Amino acid sequence: MTTLIIIDQPPYGNWAGREGLDMAFSLAAFDQPVALLFTGAGVNWLRQGQQAELIAQKNVDRNLSAATVFGVDQLLADSTSLTRFGLAPVDLLAGVETVRFEPALLSSYSHVVCP
Amino acid sequence: MPSPRILTYTLVITGAPYTSQAPQTALNFAQAVLAAGHTIDRVFLYGDGIHLASVLAAPPSDEANWTQRWGELLTAHEIPAVACIASALRRGLLDPAEQARYEKPAANLAAPFEIAGLGEWVEGQLQSSRVVYFHSGA
Amino acid sequence: MTTLHILNKSPDHPRFALCLAAVTGEDQLLLTENAVLALADTTLTLPARVAALAADMDARGLTGNGLSRYGVGFDHMVRLTTQASRIISW
Repeated sequence: MTTLIIIDQPPYGNWAGREGLDMAFSLAAFDQPVALLFTGAGVNWLRQGQQAELIAQKNVDRNLSAATVFGVDQLLADSTSLTRFGLAPVDLLAGVETVRFEPALLSSYSHVVCP
Repeated sequence: MPSPRILTYTLVITGAPYTSQAPQTALNFAQAVLAAGHTIDRVFLYGDGIHLASVLAAPPSDEANWTQRWGELLTAHEIPAVACIASALRRGLLDPAEQARYEKPAANLAAPFEIAGLGEWVEGQLQSSRVVYFHSGA
Repeated sequence: MTTLHILNKSPDHPRFALCLAAVTGEDQLLLTENAVLALADTTLTLPARVAALAADMDARGLTGNGLSRYGVGFDHMVRLTTQASRIISW
């Protein structure tokens, strides 16, 4: 019964990605199983060293690093997208698992939401 | 052959009127769901979708008024419709209670919409046999 | 498990390719809104099981020969949602 929330929108330039993260944290707050998958430009949420306060926004990296503590079961990132945006494992927030975006990956989730 | 099973639906609208086609696609889908004999448990407005619940939208008279059209369907079929409170407050959509809480000069939530938390969406996921999202196409 | 994929993005949108990458041979794809333009896009190969909202096709003038077989109404969209075990809106 796990819900997969797909984040394919990059951080800060629009609110879609952030509101997708809020959906994941909300499911977790209600003790519902949830996983997050970052793909496309959305993988940039996972880059270490973000200073969102410089553009008057909230840093989410602390929330994302603690996502599994808050009840998000998995933080997944598409390997092709990571390569495209020059993100090596060492550049990522802690706890991110690298996967391939393909139908088999999605098939294990009962709900898939792409906000 | 129409399916004999009666299903329950939660519809989630994340695309705004006059920015996206989402309110129109969702409305036509909702009408077809009801015509087929199924039930709509609730409509949840999230993100930019909350603009559908603003009573202040004043489109030209030769354009569709999506707030009014949705209001008529929701009222006729007694379907609960909820705008996410976090999305709504940020974008300036308030009911009288939130107007008072934040000491704002006006409230603008159209009837029969209500304002509530993401818990309503979580409940929809748990209760309804189908959840269908209507996103912005942009 | 068959999935109904509801796709409303124009073929140029990054999520269009993301959706196609998630569709299996058993899945049903429903094109709505700007996604119906995929039927006119000569650079695309669409999955075997594809339908499109007729109102969105007609609204955009996609009425040429060979296209009408894809067109379905909202009643059919509802039927697709009842038949699928999972629905993903892209």
